Amino acid sequence: MHDDVNHEDMREVEEGLAGLVSIPPDTLLRRTVVSVGSADEAATTDSPIGPVWIAWSTRGVTAVSPLFACPTFDDFAKVHRRTSFEAKQLPNDLSEAVTSALHTGDNAAVPIDTTGVGAFQQAVLATCATIPAGEVRPYGWIASEIGNPGSVRAVGTALGKNPIPLLIPCHRVVRSDGSLGNYAFGPQIKHELLIREGAILA
Amino acid sequence: MKAMPLTTDSHNTGSNAKGSDIRRTLIEDFDNGFTELVREYQPGIYSGARRLTRGAQDAEDVAQDTFVRAYKALSTYAPERIADLRVRPWLWTIALNLCRNRARSQVTEFAFKEGDAGGTDDPEVFDDAAWAVRLASLSEAQRTAVVLRYVLDLSIAEIGEATERPVGTVKADISRALERLRLTMKAEVLHAR
Repeated sequence: MHDDVNHEDMREVEEGLAGLVSIPPDTLLRRTVVSVGSADEAATTDSPIGPVWIAWSTRGVTAVSPLFACPTFDDFAKVHRRTSFEAKQLPNDLSEAVTSALHTGDNAAVPIDTTGVGAFQQAVLATCATIPAGEVRPYGWIASEIGNPGSVRAVGTALGKNPIPLLIPCHRVVRSDGSLGNYAFGPQIKHELLIREGAILA
Repeated sequence: MKAMPLTTDSHNTGSNAKGSDIRRTLIEDFDNGFTELVREYQPGIYSGARRLTRGAQDAEDVAQDTFVRAYKALSTYAPERIADLRVRPWLWTIALNLCRNRARSQVTEFAFKEGDAGGTDDPEVFDDAAWAVRLASLSEAQRTAVVLRYVLDLSIAEIGEATERPVGTVKADISRALERLRLTMKAEVLHAR
């Protein structure tokens, strides 16, 4: 009988302990994953092709996507390769660098983060990022630069899936015959961007 | 990258099935895998830290710092090591170190001060404060074992791994802690009469 009473008491102890689960503040997950750099924040800013989503990690810009392709944050979050949270605006220092790069075409001051992108595409994007504003290069040039001259077609595919257009200037890569070739946002926008940068004549 | 075979644990299959998905994602897509890992395990770390430190602010700090350290460590691990990792006890090893560092510097403040909950009509706040007193009466090892076992539902084996103590010792800690808590609660009832 004494044992039964103890059992009862013990159940009370165990149930009391089981009830001590606490719910963390809802900002904690975001704060944690953003601060370690496993997830991004994203906000909109102006660009030569209209407003764009910019996503960034602690390491740099991870994505650029025009609002005409992704009107809402949810649209953008669905296509972005990394988990992201909507922010009011870009952090000041990044905002300055990005705004300047978008309007001058000089991306040197913008930190870029291609984490989560395959090795081949990373190599293509890194080479593409070195093409200065006002100039163009053929697809074959990137293929040779990355030490894989036979990969012209794959270079085209990798550039077509560039997650950071404008800041990684895939619009500056053209066909070897001088024609403009494809662009994710259409040949018309590619043409306008290159005129704006003085790479081709109107 | 080719998917790797992952070891599965025999107990608690629901949460371990999730654990093996997370380890797979960590190997194939590190950052997104890590975000999933935080989503899955941070609430538990927070809940436990809430009972093993002085309060909500400490718990938040521990629950964030644990994953800051985990991210740094995991980013240096080879895929084979991640595939074999027992994630929950591994995270708790990190978290317990952080809890200990905090609790140790302020042992006296850990205890509930008489009158803290005296003015409250909210039974939840009162219960919370009462549990803080009861848990403060246990040794650190007992408190840790009983919180991990009953608040967070870790297995004895997982607690042994997390605390780096033999399973037999963990079992003894738990039964002593339960007995002590039982007597404390009984005394509270008598006292209240």
